[in-house]
Order: sequence, then structure tokens, then C-alpha cells
Amino acid sequence: MRRELVCVICPNGCELEVEYQKQGEALEITKVEGQLCKKGPKWAESEIKGSVRTICTSVSVEGGELPLVSVRTTSPVPLNSIFDLMEEIKRIRLKAPVRSGQVILKNPKGLRTLIIATKDIPLKT
Amino acid sequence: MDQGTRYDVLIIGAGVVGNAIARELSKYKLKIGVLEKELDVGMGTSSRNSGVIHSGIHYKPGTLRAKLNVLGNSMFERLCRELKVKMSYIGKLTVAQEDSEIKSLYELKEQGEANGVPGLQILKRDEMEKLQPGVGGILALYSPSTGIVCPYTFTIRLAESAFRNGVSFWLGKKVVAIEKRFDTFLVKTQDGETFTSRVLINSAGLYSDQICRLLGIEEYKIYPCRGEYLILDKRLGHHLKTLVYPAPHHGKAGLGIHLTKTVDGNILIGPSNEYVNSPEEYATTREIMEVLLKEGKELLPDLETSDVIRSFCGLRAKQTPPEVGGFRDFVIEHRKEIKGFINLLGIESPGLTSAPAIALTVKDLLEEVLTLEEREDFLSELPGFTGYFSELSYEEKMDLISKEKDYGQIVCRCEGITKKEVIDAIQNPLGVKTLSSLRYRARVMMGRCQGGFCLPRIVEILTKEFGFRPEDFLLHREGSYLFTGNVR
Amino acid sequence: MKREVVVIGGGPAGLAAAISAKRAGARDVLIVERDKRLGGILNQCIHDGFGLHRFKEALSGPEYAKRFIERLDAEGVEYMLDTMVTKLGRDKTLELSSAKGLKRIEAKAVVLAMGCRERTQGAIMLPGTRPSGIYTAGQAQNLINLQNIMVGKRAVVLGSGDIGLIMARRLLLEGCEVVGVYEILPYPSGLPRNIQQCLLDYGIPLHLSTTVVEVHGERRLTGVSVAKVDPNRRPLPNTTSFIPCDTLLLSVGLIPENELSREAGVEIEPMTGGPLVDDTLMTSLEGIFACGNVLQVHDLVDHVSEESELAGLFGARFSEGELRPLGEYTSIRPGPGIRYCLPQRVSRERDFFLSLRVKEPMRDKKIVLLDENRKRLIQKSFPRLHPAVMVRLKVMVEKIAKAKGLEVRVE
Repeated sequence: MRRELVCVICPNGCELEVEYQKQGEALEITKVEGQLCKKGPKWAESEIKGSVRTICTSVSVEGGELPLVSVRTTSPVPLNSIFDLMEEIKRIRLKAPVRSGQVILKNPKGLRTLIIATKDIPLKT
Repeated sequence: MDQGTRYDVLIIGAGVVGNAIARELSKYKLKIGVLEKELDVGMGTSSRNSGVIHSGIHYKPGTLRAKLNVLGNSMFERLCRELKVKMSYIGKLTVAQEDSEIKSLYELKEQGEANGVPGLQILKRDEMEKLQPGVGGILALYSPSTGIVCPYTFTIRLAESAFRNGVSFWLGKKVVAIEKRFDTFLVKTQDGETFTSRVLINSAGLYSDQICRLLGIEEYKIYPCRGEYLILDKRLGHHLKTLVYPAPHHGKAGLGIHLTKTVDGNILIGPSNEYVNSPEEYATTREIMEVLLKEGKELLPDLETSDVIRSFCGLRAKQTPPEVGGFRDFVIEHRKEIKGFINLLGIESPGLTSAPAIALTVKDLLEEVLTLEEREDFLSELPGFTGYFSELSYEEKMDLISKEKDYGQIVCRCEGITKKEVIDAIQNPLGVKTLSSLRYRARVMMGRCQGGFCLPRIVEILTKEFGFRPEDFLLHREGSYLFTGNVR
Repeated sequence: MKREVVVIGGGPAGLAAAISAKRAGARDVLIVERDKRLGGILNQCIHDGFGLHRFKEALSGPEYAKRFIERLDAEGVEYMLDTMVTKLGRDKTLELSSAKGLKRIEAKAVVLAMGCRERTQGAIMLPGTRPSGIYTAGQAQNLINLQNIMVGKRAVVLGSGDIGLIMARRLLLEGCEVVGVYEILPYPSGLPRNIQQCLLDYGIPLHLSTTVVEVHGERRLTGVSVAKVDPNRRPLPNTTSFIPCDTLLLSVGLIPENELSREAGVEIEPMTGGPLVDDTLMTSLEGIFACGNVLQVHDLVDHVSEESELAGLFGARFSEGELRPLGEYTSIRPGPGIRYCLPQRVSRERDFFLSLRVKEPMRDKKIVLLDENRKRLIQKSFPRLHPAVMVRLKVMVEKIAKAKGLEVRVE
């Protein structure tokens, strides 16, 4: 089988042509072309098995200089889990102060990732 | 009935004419109310025009337009000083491009002189060139009394001055029914309220024929005629030293597409001239924009497409249908059969210029119904300074910031508008809380980035310092909500 | 007040320039920032993908900014917040305005790092009414990501610039329906990866050679008319359709914010909208340098940082009197296939980065630097070239030592 993919790892956005075979659950990549770096084939394999993406959004903060803190997952999560994960994140209520890097949620929805704050939110002065 | 809604005089329509009347009448011992269907004053034609104080050369001697234009023009300087509104008599060249147009210049001069327009001169090429380098053309009529003013600032300040002198402004009150009982008018608004008065003044602009119909007067019809404009970046403002208009072409309804400098230093290209079907048809069109840009580039070779910062349009309240074209004189009348009804209709150009003089005419008509007694406590001056903080000297700025630190915080980078000016605009005396009210009062969101930078900052000020929730933000009219709620 | 190097703007460009100037030995370096915090637009760019070149990590905007702000503090760079530069003179005097009052500063060197602004509805002469519900993508980003304010329920995005793509995804994740992205050009304006991860991942349609021809609604936006366009970008008759929506996001280009520079007398290059610079990133005015989006609109913040460090370095050298005043230059002009290149003139005294953008998407091409005799001095092959992607080539001085005029072109 063949698929054309755009690699999203870096801004080069390489257009990859991937050939692969599928036997039951097993997947074998036979050819990857179009990549500018060695990350391409690995990414292609993972993409064909099931797209994963980092998710970035905001969490509500009370009493801070801003009403929201930006957050992200520390590793990519399955694309098809993102809306469930968003629902989980929308429910969180934090209290200021929040520090960038602070873990907000561990293994949400059973995923092997952390949700971390990506911004400092000091107390409202 | 509620005492608060009983007036000696009710004015329908808070455009420049209605507000000028309100302010003029506030010099007398009268209880005055103004009913306006929009959420702010000056939302119609008054804020959507060239902002030119015409000299009065274009109108037939003996007409109201001629008389009121020349009188109104002469009143502007003092009025603007009192209201702290920027204006400038920058003059105008009406330019003939070919021999066939020369005759019309002399005719205009003669007509202007008959109307009492001061200082008219026919200028040759070199004299024209001195006033406006690169002007082109072969001969011009120069009218030094032509001026420019910010039309919405003028309209708003008239209202604020009237308000300061006791006039009530009722905004968001669309008049839907009028009844005359004995010597009292009962005016019903869409929200079910009733206002009463002894005198009723119709200054409803594009809707003035509809107001007439509510009283059974069927003889008038207003034909809205759209004028589209492009606003150019201030970068080009220095090109225009005076106004330049083409010599008149007979049979055309407007004055022809031309460049107008605004009092804030932008240039307007326009207006176009097309009849439309409704008094709400405020949409600009691709066809006209392209014509304006093309003709603008011919008039101003330095103009780049990227200099266009916004387009807008206004509607002229014409009494002549499309198939007739041209102009009809203003209607300003006391309808004796409906004693106390003063009707103003078809106040198209030069309505802005004439407004102060129209107000005097209305005052005279009022004396047919009421006895006017002057107040001793009339406040002619508005507080504050003329123009914007950014236009003050270094020392004046330092002085003001030391008294009020918000003058040091610049909210709008394009126009250099300060936080204090924004807060003053938010706390405007009429209590209007739309974003367009801030645009028209503080000039924020009006520069080349059109609020790209300052809109979020203004939202922040309104949220943090005035307790606005996302649902509270309106752009201009009822229903023009900006936001749909919180993200979290 | 006097300072060696004054940097106007505390966004990614200003931060990198200031740190670099300080490290290069400038005694006092001052950043003047109009916002209440450093970091500029990065504060609202909460998506990831920043720093892949520089830190080999996919950081969010605020994290990327934080790394520089920590560095800045460690270096002891002075900064003023909530302070606007209202005037810049060609003699490198600045007028500042803040709640504390007005201030005049004399600088030995100035680095322009004011960034850019978004093109607006007015600037693209979008016909129709003026209802609420029309935002530039950056405005919406600020409101949603910093102020917790949602802008609408059903959105159309006009223009496929990166911020528009990022915001299409952002709106969708926050429950706003995104009808589609409409692009007047026959190819997307944003990076290919953003087309993939912001649109395709979520099934948001991208309509090329299509644009919004009219907005509707007298109060809130009620919809837009869209139409296909011909190769000259003119709407095609009979292709117009009405799309109901309450929100229109504009992502139709960025304009370097050079009003201060213009007033000072800095020469502006029409193709970039930024100052004309030499290989030290000095503008046409001696001692005034430019970097970041005020100089040219960048694709990646990593490139902004890299460029700005050079501007800061040369700013510091100039302030110490180590940089020779402007001498004879060799000009570099864009040839076939190149939209612009920068710097526009070089001294032939040092290596430099040549930044450029191509005019349209191309495959398997070479970018070539030629001298006045059409001699090839440098060439580099590219499997793909795209206007959304800025090309940066390192040019070694020995390659151009004898050139009297340079041209860069696509072959």
C-alpha cells in the first residue's frame, strides 16, 4: 500500500511517500521517500500506525494575573483521543500562582503523557 | 404618566442637525428630550461624510441651502472653539481642466458672491500651484472659507454640550407611533414607552419621511443615495494643502469623486453616487472601491494600494428620485395644521455645514408656539482640550501625566491614544458603551491597524476596570455582540 | 538619560538582540517594551513547534520566550515595561512615554525590533457591511489565549497564513465550528506542516483560488460570500456562494511595523516592508539596526532569534566604535523567481546570512548567487521551495570578495 504524508516534526514539512504492507495487526514499512532528515521514516511508521500529536490549550486559573494558563502534553498523544482529552482539560480549575513546567495532570485518560503548564501565572497584584 | 418623559420639546434623531437644535434650544428655559433609534448619537449620515465645511458657492441664491450654508459656515469657528472640536479653514480649489469648464468657474464665483461667500478668487496656474503643488488644471476658483472638521466629533460634542445644559438623550429608542392629543404629542417607541411634548421636531434624516407618515403627512419621500469612500493612511496626508474639487459637470447628483483631507490628517477618496433601496444599505461594493482606488491613484500618484486603511459609506437623504437626480432645497417648516410639529427633511449636503444655522431657524419657528426665555446658566464651553493628547507639546504632556498617570500609557499605537483618553471615552456623559462609541470619541481602532493592537487592550480595560463580561461587548448596534462567552 | 544600546521592542527579536549586545560587551543595554510583560507575540502563541532548530525541542511560545527572558535576567539587561517609544530621531535620540512620564534617551546604537502588524479588512478592501464578528487571527488569538474570551460559534478563515491555520485548529478545539479556510492564491500561504496538523488532521477544508468577496450582516456577521478567482485573483462570475457564519478570521498577511523607522528617516524597502539593511543589519541610518519581523516577516521564531543576535552584536560593536561607518557597498538584487532577498547591500568584509523568499512553490530547483558577470558564486539545490518558507543561506566573504554586483535567482 502507498500513502503520501506531510511530516509535521519540523517546519520543513517534508512530503513523504510511504510504501507499506499490512498483515493483520502487523505493519511493515517497505519504502519511505522525500524526507530531508533521518527522523522522516520513523515518523512515517508511527503516522501509519496511528497519528499522534502534541496538544496545546489553556486551563482556567483563579486569582492570577491572567485568567488562563497555557498547557501542553509532554509527548504526543493519539489524534483520536484529543477531544476526550480536551474535555478532561476543560474541567481543571487551578489557583494562582502557577509555574511554567508545573505538572497539571498525570496520565490523563490513561495516556502515557503529562499535562504541564507552559507559562508562569503569578498572583494578581 | 412618568414625569421624566414629559417635555416641552422632543427631537427625533440625534444626528448633527438634531444635536445642533438640542444645543441651541438648551440656551432657553425648556425641557428638552432627544429620541434616537441607535445606541449612540451621529450613527447615520452625520458620521459618514467628507467632513467638509462648505463655503456655499454651489447653491442657488435665495435657497435655504445657500443661506444656511453661508451662515452655518460663519458659525463654525466659534462653535468648534466652545465644543473643543478641531476644525480648519483650509480652503478649496475648484479646478477647471479644460476651456469648456472655465465658464462654470465664473458662474460659481458669481453665484457664491450672490450668496455672500467671502474671499472668492479666480486663480491662474501659478497661483493654484502655490496653494497646492502639482494640482494640475488650467484655472481654479479659490474659496478660502471652505473648511474641514471631524463630523462625528462635532456631532458628539454638540450632544454632550446639550446634555451638560440639561437635555435628555434617549438612545436605542425607535419611534413607532405619534399621536397628537389637544396640544400634546404622544410619541411611542418600539420598547413600549411613551414620551410627550408640546413641540415635536423631526430631524430623523433618512427616516424623516417615515416620521412624517406617522403623522399622516404623505407628501415626502426620501431616496437614499449612497456615497462610498476609501480612507488612506496618514503617510499621504501632507500631500493635500487645500481641498481640490473638479469643476461641476451638469446633471450629476454629487460633487464628483475627489480627495478630502480629514482634520486628523488622513485622506478620503470619494464619495461615489448611487441610489439604493433602503436607508440601511450601508454596504461597500467591490465595483466602486476599484473605481475609487483607480481615480485616487490618478489624483495622487504616490498612492499605493496598501495605503487604504478602511472603506465606508454614507447615505444622502435625497428628495429627488433617481430618474430626476440633482438636488431639491431643504425642507424646514412648522406644519401649522399640526401645530408644534417642526419638520426637517431632505437635509443632505451641505447639512453638516448648515446644522448650526438650521438650529437658529428652528429656534425662530419654535417662537411661533412657545415663548422662549433665555437661561442665565447656559454653559457654552465643554471642558478639556481640543484634539488628542498626542498633539500636545512635550511640556503640556509632561504636566498632564504628572496629574494623571494614565496619560502616559499609550493604548493605541497608531494614533498615540492614551489610556486616560480611552477611560474618558468609556465614561462619556451620554453613557454609551459600544466599541464604536470609543472609536468616535477617542479615535482608538481608527488608525492603520484598525484595532489589531488596541482592541485586545481596550477589551482588557473594560473587563478589568469596568467589570464587562464577554456578553456585554457590543460593536455599534443592538445585536452587534462581539463575543460569545468565556473559553473556560 | 544615556544608554549604549537601546532595543525597541521586547519580543523574540528584541530579547535576542539585547542579550547578544550585552554579551558582545555593550556596557548598558536597554529594552523598551510597550506591553506589561516581555515576550511579545510569543505570549499568545500557546501552540508548540518553537525552538526546533535552536533547542531541538518543540516548545510553546511562552516557553521559548522564557528561555530568553531568563538569559536576559542573568546577563543583567535593563528593561522598561508598559513604555512606548513615541519618537525616534536620526541622531538616535528616543522619546518614551509611560505612566511615569515622558523621557528622552540618547543611545549610541538603536536596534529596531518592533515586529509587525496584521493586514486588516480595510487593507484588503473587503466589500460589504461592517458587522461585529470580524477579527484578525492575531486578535482572536489574544482574546482566546490571554483573555479567556471566545469570539464566535461558526467561523470562516480567510487566508491560509500560519496564524490563521493555528487559529482554525484552536477554535475547533474550543468548540467553534470551522467551516473552512479560503485562500485567494492557488497554493497555501502557511507552512505545509500547519496545513497537515491544523487542517487535515481535523478535516477542516482548505479552498484554494477562492476568496471572500463580500461580508454580510448589519449587526453581527451573518455570513460571507465566497467565489473562485481567476489567475489574476479576480472573482469569477457565477462561482459565488453564501456561507452562513458568525465569525470571520483574517489571516491575510503581516506588515512590518515601521512607522517609527520611517519618521526617523530610515529607508524602507518596498518588497519587504522593512528597512534596507547591510550585512551588519544596519539600516540606511548609521547606528540604527533592524531585526525580526520589523525587518522582514519570518516563518520561524528560531530564524528571528538568529538574525536578532547578529543585529545586537553589531549594535554593540557600533556603540563601542568598533564598526566602521558606512563605506562602499555591493548591492544584492532579487533575480528571476525571487520575491525578495536581504540584506540588500553588503560590505564584502564579513560572512553573512542571505535571507530570501521565492515567488511561488517550485520543485527541484537551485538557488544561485551570481556576480555582475553572471558568474556563479554559490549555488544550493532544493527539492522543494515554497513562498511560506524563508530560505537562509550562509555566504562566506571569500566567495564574493571580488563581486561588484550580486544577483540571487532560482534556476
